[in-house]
Amino acid sequence: MDRETLIKKWLDHNLTPEEQKAFEGLEDYKDLLKISESVKGFKSPNFDSEVEYAKVKSLLKPKSNKNWMRPLMRIAAVLVIGFSLVYYNSTLDTEIETTIAQETTISLPDASTVALNAQSTLTYNKKTWSNKREVNLEGEAYFKVSKGSKFDVLTSDGKVSVLGTQFNVIQHKSYFEVTCYEGMVAVTHNGNSIKLKPGHRFALIDGMIKNETENEEKPSWLANESTFKSRPLRYILDELQRQYNVALDTGNTNLNQLFTGSFTHNDLDLALQSITIPLGITYTKSDAVIVLKSE
Amino acid sequence: MSKSIHENSCEEHVYSALFKKHSKNLHDFLYYKFGAKLNPKDKVQDAFIKLWDNCKKVPPEKAKSFLYTTANNLMLNAVVHQKVVLKHQNKPQRHSTNESPEFILEEKQYSDKLQKALDNLTEAQRIAFLMNRAEGKRFKEIAELLDISVKAVEKRIYGALKKLREDIDEL
Repeated sequence: MDRETLIKKWLDHNLTPEEQKAFEGLEDYKDLLKISESVKGFKSPNFDSEVEYAKVKSLLKPKSNKNWMRPLMRIAAVLVIGFSLVYYNSTLDTEIETTIAQETTISLPDASTVALNAQSTLTYNKKTWSNKREVNLEGEAYFKVSKGSKFDVLTSDGKVSVLGTQFNVIQHKSYFEVTCYEGMVAVTHNGNSIKLKPGHRFALIDGMIKNETENEEKPSWLANESTFKSRPLRYILDELQRQYNVALDTGNTNLNQLFTGSFTHNDLDLALQSITIPLGITYTKSDAVIVLKSE
Repeated sequence: MSKSIHENSCEEHVYSALFKKHSKNLHDFLYYKFGAKLNPKDKVQDAFIKLWDNCKKVPPEKAKSFLYTTANNLMLNAVVHQKVVLKHQNKPQRHSTNESPEFILEEKQYSDKLQKALDNLTEAQRIAFLMNRAEGKRFKEIAELLDISVKAVEKRIYGALKKLREDIDEL
């Protein structure tokens, strides 16, 4: 092996034991070794990468590779929450409620209108409206249904189905009454379906079914007057309390006697007189309570 | 795709691994090339801070060349014709009595000669030679660090040795 190759192998820390011997036999072996040893004195200063890293780290501007995503995530979260709220609301039933002495008119999504009498609740679902025209009713309401698919009014006492018509529905406690003013109305009660033609009324009072006729073109309550035909006094007084915020003390009055007539929604004294005089009852107002007394 | 997005140098564990892998070699490279005066440690620090600032643009596999180029440029900006000064790191030893004053003087003279001879080497020779002799690196490691072939490393180191010997004999 020639000198140069030997030296190169030595430089590369790559000598075999025999080569090492041959290298040590070189005439300038000592000179080479001296250079090599002395050069070690010029070694770079100690560099501790742990210490240096700690120094560099303290100088770095804090950041994360995710920081471009964070604002996006925030926006996305807001959008998701917003959309889900909108979606949730759109699937919720819409509920309209009237209190004592309050009346309101509601336009349904298909331009049908509902007039809601005092202390009544109407619920329907906007989302499913196009598939199923269906409302839930507690209390009294007058419907003007635009023509279209079946329109159902669900009450706790039965179902009223129509196609396109005008009719009035009352459901209070054990009182259920449907009056048809135009078109055709089907009333389903206890599985029996009764068809009502214009000017006909179906009434269910304490479980007793009554079929009556009606000559008016629309319910009188729309003109702020409640009209009754042979209804128990109990029911008339209930209606009075729905139209006027008053407390009644009925005393010994017979609440089952029938009343035919009407009372206004605008004048309590006049309304009370309309009810009491025909029945031979007197009333006195003391504080906020109205006391009835039979003669 | 997603891997290259996540595996960038902004990840702290990636960054710290890069630091451990390259900082010492980079420091030695700068030291042997430019000497002690220009504070290679500071340049290493600055180069790594620049890497952090650009971490999105520099994938880990490109980090090494980014660091060397950046640190080299930082040095060149600072150099402005400064002479390379390598400091002899040997601390003054408490000499044992069997070393004669003549011997100590000779050693000192030899060291001075060696320093001058090292200064006279080309940059490329000095870096490769000192990495080999002072750091004890093998040709292959140096070749990887400098991105050159093993043959070229061998040529530089052998050339450096030859030149050193001539210079020392002359001086």
